[in-house]
Amino acid sequence: MTYVIGVDVGGTFTDAFAADDNGNIVSAKAPSTPADFSRGVLQAVTELANRLDRPVEQLFGETSYIAHGTTATLNALVTGNVSKVGFITTKGHRDSIYIMNLEGRYAGLGPEEVRDIIATRKPAPLIPKRRAKEVTERVDYKGSVMVALNEDEARQAVRELLDEGVEAIAVSLLWSFLNPAHERRIREIVHEMAPDLYVGLSSEISPRIREYARNATTIMSTQVGPTLRDYLKPLKSDLTQMGLQAPLLIMQGSGGTVSAEEAPGYAITTIGSVLTGGVVGATMLGERLGHKNIISTDVGGTTFLVGLVVDGEAVFTNTTTMNQYNLNVPMMQVNSIGSGGGAIAWLDEGGNLRVGPRSAGASPGPACYGAGGEEPTVTDADLVLGIINPDFFLGGKRLLDVELAKKALKEQIGDPLGLSAEEAAAAVFEIQNAQTADLVRKVVVETGYDPRDFAMYAFGGAGPVHCFAYGAELGVQEIVVPLGQTAAVFSAYGLAASDVVLSAELSDPANFPVGAENLNSNFEQLERDVRARLDAQGVKFADVTVQREIDIRYTMQIFEVPTPVKNGKLDEGDIAQIAADFEEKYATLFGKGTGFSEAGFQFITYRVFATGHLPFKPQLPEAPSANGYTAKGALKEHRRVLLDTRLGWRETPIYDYGKLAAGHVLEGPAVVEAPTTTVVISAGSTGSVDHLGNVVIRYGQGGE
Amino acid sequence: MAFVPVPGSEVFNSRILPLEEVIKGIPSSVKLHSVSEEEVQAVDPLTYEVVRHRMWAITDMMGEALKRMSGSLVVTECNDFDVAVTDEYGDVVQVGLFNTELVASIDLAVKWILKNRAENPGIEEGDMFLLNDPWVGGGLHQNDVALLAPIFHDGRLFAWTAAVAHQADLGGVSPGSWTPRAENVFWESLPTPPVKMVKDYQIQRDVEDVYLRRSRVPKIVALDLRAKMGANMVGLERIRALIDKYSPDTVKAVMKRQMDDAEHRLRERLRSMEDGTWHAVSYQEQSKQGDRGVHKIVLTMTKKDDHLTFDFTGTDPQSGMINCTYTGMYGGITAAMLPVLCGDMPWAAGGLVRCIDIVSEEGTLNNCTFPGGIGKGSVASAWATSNVVTECLSKMLDTHIDLSQRTQSVCCGTWDLCVMAGLDQREQPFATMITDSMGAGFGAGSDHDGVDTAGLLIIPMGKMPDVEMNEFVLPMLYLWRREETDSGGPGKFRGGVTASLCFISHDTPAPMAQVISGSGKAVPMNVGLAGGYPGNTQVDLTVRDANAKELFARGIIPGSLQEIEGRHELKSCEEESYLAPGEAHYMYWQSGGGYGDPLLRDPAAVRHDVEEFKVSLSAARGIYGVVLDEDSLEVDAAGTERIRDEIRDNRRQLSRQGGDGNGHHAH
Repeated sequence: MTYVIGVDVGGTFTDAFAADDNGNIVSAKAPSTPADFSRGVLQAVTELANRLDRPVEQLFGETSYIAHGTTATLNALVTGNVSKVGFITTKGHRDSIYIMNLEGRYAGLGPEEVRDIIATRKPAPLIPKRRAKEVTERVDYKGSVMVALNEDEARQAVRELLDEGVEAIAVSLLWSFLNPAHERRIREIVHEMAPDLYVGLSSEISPRIREYARNATTIMSTQVGPTLRDYLKPLKSDLTQMGLQAPLLIMQGSGGTVSAEEAPGYAITTIGSVLTGGVVGATMLGERLGHKNIISTDVGGTTFLVGLVVDGEAVFTNTTTMNQYNLNVPMMQVNSIGSGGGAIAWLDEGGNLRVGPRSAGASPGPACYGAGGEEPTVTDADLVLGIINPDFFLGGKRLLDVELAKKALKEQIGDPLGLSAEEAAAAVFEIQNAQTADLVRKVVVETGYDPRDFAMYAFGGAGPVHCFAYGAELGVQEIVVPLGQTAAVFSAYGLAASDVVLSAELSDPANFPVGAENLNSNFEQLERDVRARLDAQGVKFADVTVQREIDIRYTMQIFEVPTPVKNGKLDEGDIAQIAADFEEKYATLFGKGTGFSEAGFQFITYRVFATGHLPFKPQLPEAPSANGYTAKGALKEHRRVLLDTRLGWRETPIYDYGKLAAGHVLEGPAVVEAPTTTVVISAGSTGSVDHLGNVVIRYGQGGE
Repeated sequence: MAFVPVPGSEVFNSRILPLEEVIKGIPSSVKLHSVSEEEVQAVDPLTYEVVRHRMWAITDMMGEALKRMSGSLVVTECNDFDVAVTDEYGDVVQVGLFNTELVASIDLAVKWILKNRAENPGIEEGDMFLLNDPWVGGGLHQNDVALLAPIFHDGRLFAWTAAVAHQADLGGVSPGSWTPRAENVFWESLPTPPVKMVKDYQIQRDVEDVYLRRSRVPKIVALDLRAKMGANMVGLERIRALIDKYSPDTVKAVMKRQMDDAEHRLRERLRSMEDGTWHAVSYQEQSKQGDRGVHKIVLTMTKKDDHLTFDFTGTDPQSGMINCTYTGMYGGITAAMLPVLCGDMPWAAGGLVRCIDIVSEEGTLNNCTFPGGIGKGSVASAWATSNVVTECLSKMLDTHIDLSQRTQSVCCGTWDLCVMAGLDQREQPFATMITDSMGAGFGAGSDHDGVDTAGLLIIPMGKMPDVEMNEFVLPMLYLWRREETDSGGPGKFRGGVTASLCFISHDTPAPMAQVISGSGKAVPMNVGLAGGYPGNTQVDLTVRDANAKELFARGIIPGSLQEIEGRHELKSCEEESYLAPGEAHYMYWQSGGGYGDPLLRDPAAVRHDVEEFKVSLSAARGIYGVVLDEDSLEVDAAGTERIRDEIRDNRRQLSRQGGDGNGHHAH
């Protein structure tokens, strides 16, 4: 027997999941333990062993690896609880991280915040200016040394930083991705003076052109590297003591993993560790269900997260924004807006009804929680419309007060607009659905695709309540609400089932045609690097595949498009083909005729992904089958529900998910109550339970 | 050279007119789609919100589309472009959050087209009109090229979308299309009144060639034309989808209501403040190469009830090439109004501008008569117009207990321009503008410091390029790019500091041609408010025969101009020049002005500024009157009190003597 284990740390719960090579799975939950999350992890895997009815040592003895999604780095950055870092950079360019290309004043803000330019501010500086040191050295755009590194100055800078008591030093010099010699020498100097000090080099963490994002990425990674190291070291040693011999792999925002030993050196790549879990899960489930193109919508209390899967692979972005800083972190693209279930409905100064982005959060929460919240939220509207059952929210764990919800809606929205509480709720519901549809459309269209070619997966507490509406708005083919065994541990399942993916990149900007020798040697270097790191993971793979890409742009245009490149030694003909592929992809993304080939091309950044394929894939268990289509036995009650203002209130059948089985088909309008969420099936559409227990919504002819 | 008016040019002069008069001028052959006031009122709040949100999403998508396709650094790296959606008359319903000045006079351009192009060559579905005629509208100077697309529904003209972007070069005697030598507009890029560039969704090859032939970089200009067309196509498609779903009347009613809503909110805000009149003056120093004059724009702004009147009477006559047209002045007003007065309202500009009127004399700096030179209008007189409007609006807001939070001193008072053209390191010709100077300081407010290296108020989403990207693309090597200590206007709240840069020409075989421009070198244009001081003055300087590379060989990177040997050539406000291989060029643009008396600044804040190199020890003492220990930077409270008293005594003496203590009267 061989097991793979996934552990995902969330804000409230730590989920664990184990699968064996016989197609058995088991899951477990433990409360998350803030301050030291590792205790929750240990508890969850212990619980997992209990579920399997065997001692932990025995389970670990048969485990081929543990994949772990951690919020350690993200939390550290969000709360500012990071290591004290010193920064060393090229003389004359210290202020890059303060100037932030001025973009830092608004990066990552919503449109209304950006528009109110008078109220915009830059974020707090990454480090005080006196902890950012300049040293004399200069490399030019060709990688040639214009001025040698002044080692005395470097020593002086390190001395001053050490005297200040820094816990780590980040080094990022101009053009270091072309010529890293000076950065490496500075690290040697640091280690001559402080042998154990954590040092982050931009040429290793983010060897990509554009110094501002590279500097910020290097500093942030260095700020959380020691944190991650201090979290993983004891965790790994505890696990080892419990009998684990297999590697502990840390989930990256790219959906791939990195070994616990190596992770602190690439700490910044783990900030999306948990955010992207949903997309990974959707990719895995999609593979099982035969969906190649998926829009994944994860709607929690505060945020609405959108991810995309195209041709069976999650869509990537190579840049992300964190605390208004631009970071070079290859991640699955996850867009978010403040439109979760807790989003507050309000009237602006013009008396217009608005929903979000402010959220009532977990405390005080929606008005219906009765915890002091007086502002109406999306959840309050869902409740007043009869969609959510006040006695069965979170499976009955939290009782909701309909009257409080009505009161908030009536007083804050209804009275000023001349609407009843119910009408106000309907308006909030519809605005929420329309604006989330707008966001999803923007994400899909800007990635170069048409939402009608996609299936939609909807999860998170509020996703299944609203997906019928925003899905219809987008014209998606069908909607899958993952339920059953997978639902509770969706992300952890994704972790355990995902292959090990590592990436390496290197900027070497040059005009087309690029010399074959140069191009081949760039890829060979990256592949050597990434294969060595894959070996270091200590996992036995069925096989390893490598994918290459180059970020290419038209000389006059700034947007770089990652263009796939075939493997092996490439000749001039192949290079011409790369340019042709780029043109085709550019046209797909931005429209025919938008590219300008006469201006020529520039190859900017080379990137290699190596995927270690696992010897087996954990299988999701089948749900029990129903006898026939009708689900009378699962019918709980009928209740007045308003889903569509044009159709008005309707007596709507309410089903108990726990009594549904594979093969059941529900005619809309209908509501399905599951312990974690509520699924809405609108009039004219059907909801069927598939063989895994998921509810699949399909729109009728003509749709709604 | 004497100014010779051109008879017949008046037809191109757009003016704000009451809507009834506009409608009267539109030929009956144009069928417009309209809705009644009742239909506008009847839109339910729900539909209104959904469609309104979608309008916003549409301009956002248009902007993204344009940016992705464009080939101009100023577009892709600096967001010097914008898009808009208007109603059938051109009144702006939604503005993109890019360079708002660019779309400020789209309404005038559409109205001009309706009047002058409807009969011949006609306005049909599938058409798009191109223009870069600042007398007509749609941009501030000839580099701003607009492409306007009418949207039809059932044969009726329903709405317009617009895409405008700055083009690097459209001809004229100097690269970049504006020249400090200009005697009149004929030295500059030729203004193009609206022409049918796109017909039946196809670019007209002949018209395109007429347009491109004038440019030194026709390839980029051609690409940008397609980018604008692409942006309009996105707008077209999405608005059609909206019409299909909600009906044309509903969509139109929402558009009208967006403008009514914006108007209503602005009127309410104006009513909440005391009536009054405010004054401001902005000086520009040189109107062209060799000029030694100082040229002023004067504003008297009066607020009465819910209306604002901008009266520019007293502004100096047009001169040289720093003028802007009436539409440039209009753009300068709205570009300041939107962020300062309306940042927290919807930018349905068509409604907002109903609350203002303009009084101005023909033939003045910001109401230039054809064929005066206007090549630099965008960053000269239109910009200076924005400065005086920002100042007057801020003074007005400062009288209100809550709205005073929106008060902001003038940000970067002038644009530091450096256009370069030559051979790049790959021996390919290039012409570009150095856009780093977009990273200016913001003005201080009544309760906060100005944001350091924050950008420009008129471009909510501006951007500076990375040093590495410029070095990759252009034959330059930066010695530094840094925030400048003491550049921010001192005050109780400090103006945001600005930055400077110094680069050497690197790896090019030939000298580069340069156009250097920017006022505010003797008189700062980033004035302070409420006793706050102005920020720094602008400096441009070239070091001829610079020894930078010799210093490199000796292991030295110069950290200041003093460290570079050679002939130091201080640049005037307007000149054409060159940069030879190895020579160094320095640019130091403007910061934001301060707010309130610097002697009232919290000493702890001054200490923090010194720690972060925003303020020097000597300025802390000399200007803020704060004494800090040189090593520990601890505040010496008693010493601070003493020196602040001394400074106040000194002020009293100066005011008794008359003398130079009078400097701030003009505000």
